Amino acid sequence: MSILDKLCVVSEARNALLPPGVDPFNVVIEEIYSATEASIQGRRVLLAGTNNYLGLTFDPQCIKAAQVSLEKEGTGTTGSRMANGTFAGHRDLEKDLASFCSCSEAIVFSTGFVANLGVISTLAGPGDVIVLDADSHASIYDACRMSGAEMIRFRHNNLEDLEKKLKRLGPKAEKTLIIVEGIYSMLGDCAPLAEIAALKKKYGTWLLVDEAHSMGVLGDHGRGMAEAAGVEDDVDFIVGTFSKSLGSIGGYCVSNHPELALIRYVCRSYVFTASPSPSTIASVRAALQAIQTKPQLRTRLWDNATLLYQGLKELGFELGPDLSPVVAIRVPTREKTLLAWQTLLDRGIYVNLVFPPAAPAGMSLLRCSISAAHTPEQVDFILETFSDIKNLMT
Amino acid sequence: MTPTTYDTIFQQVIVLLQKYAPESGPINEETELVNDLGFDSLKVMEMLNDVEDTFDITYPLNSLSDLLTVKDFTEQIQSHVENS
Repeated sequence: MSILDKLCVVSEARNALLPPGVDPFNVVIEEIYSATEASIQGRRVLLAGTNNYLGLTFDPQCIKAAQVSLEKEGTGTTGSRMANGTFAGHRDLEKDLASFCSCSEAIVFSTGFVANLGVISTLAGPGDVIVLDADSHASIYDACRMSGAEMIRFRHNNLEDLEKKLKRLGPKAEKTLIIVEGIYSMLGDCAPLAEIAALKKKYGTWLLVDEAHSMGVLGDHGRGMAEAAGVEDDVDFIVGTFSKSLGSIGGYCVSNHPELALIRYVCRSYVFTASPSPSTIASVRAALQAIQTKPQLRTRLWDNATLLYQGLKELGFELGPDLSPVVAIRVPTREKTLLAWQTLLDRGIYVNLVFPPAAPAGMSLLRCSISAAHTPEQVDFILETFSDIKNLMT
Repeated sequence: MTPTTYDTIFQQVIVLLQKYAPESGPINEETELVNDLGFDSLKVMEMLNDVEDTFDITYPLNSLSDLLTVKDFTEQIQSHVENS
């Protein structure tokens, strides 16, 4: 038995699934033209699966801010936040995030994944309990395992199952952290956060919400699901990312618990990894400003999401349960999903192909994510193309 | 009434496992969930939902790391039933 044998299993699974020369999991964007267009496999395609919800990757102010920082501060920090990797911009962004979220504390991480990994594994430890939604992101599962806490899973968005599990905790409830997401990344469905916050209060637990796909998308001010559900005061910790609505890369955690600041000393993914480059931080600060000063971006995003979701529904596709900027189309088999994905690409549309276990409940999905930067004509093109290839997907 | 004896729980575990591995041969205490029944992570999660409902317990995911055979699984369930 070799250490590499397990990878042979991966190779066999890949070869059984994918025809030679087709690998939807290693797509290369050969050239990027805008927030919605790129070149893939030698052809110009419409991007409909990039999580670029507000289309800010090509926002002139974000680009300018990054350019100025790049000239002034160089290409990278070459150090972790705890050592030489905290520049004034990192602290300024933390102040911006705290102010935006009306929280006293904010910490910036290098990615959203390591924000979850670090925050969750530091907050919870042996002797504590984490109750997480079954459809939680891989970073949450990994963080829970790293924490050493007891991990209890409740059925996705199932309040009855959540309450049953909270009730059984007894006195352990006060050492229990519930973890949910605002919008779930694969099906685009929303957490019933008002009800979850009510259960959190009823049983005296703690609550962490991952707003990766909902920050900039939900709420009157774009603060996410906690704002939209009117429960910001009941959420103890919010984790998020800069790589979706904010159009860059990085992650953060905000809270009104002053103890959050202490994790800077002990959180391994904060202490032992290089901090985001100054230009990244500068573009995120500009994007955060855009979220606050350009509410029309959210309006356009939801107009486009409604067009796509309703349009696909009228065409008879089986979609995720909630209207959101993540529009997932269920396809009966992996083979049909793969064929439809490649046909869409051949016809000029890139979407995400998702197989289990990344997709929940054994589903195969074509996952679209819509952007404020899409034009109505582009959304129409997506709908027309899906209509044309529907026979391949049923 | 939730069963509490090892034998009663074992019988119910066999029924549950057969539901998720209908193609498998006879299942006994030494049967391995992954190697013999071919359970992958998705199937394990579905099966755990059923186990939690059947025995009215919470089954922590951490317990999975100590799990190899049907006997291990039955003993774990029994322990959770007794402590619930």
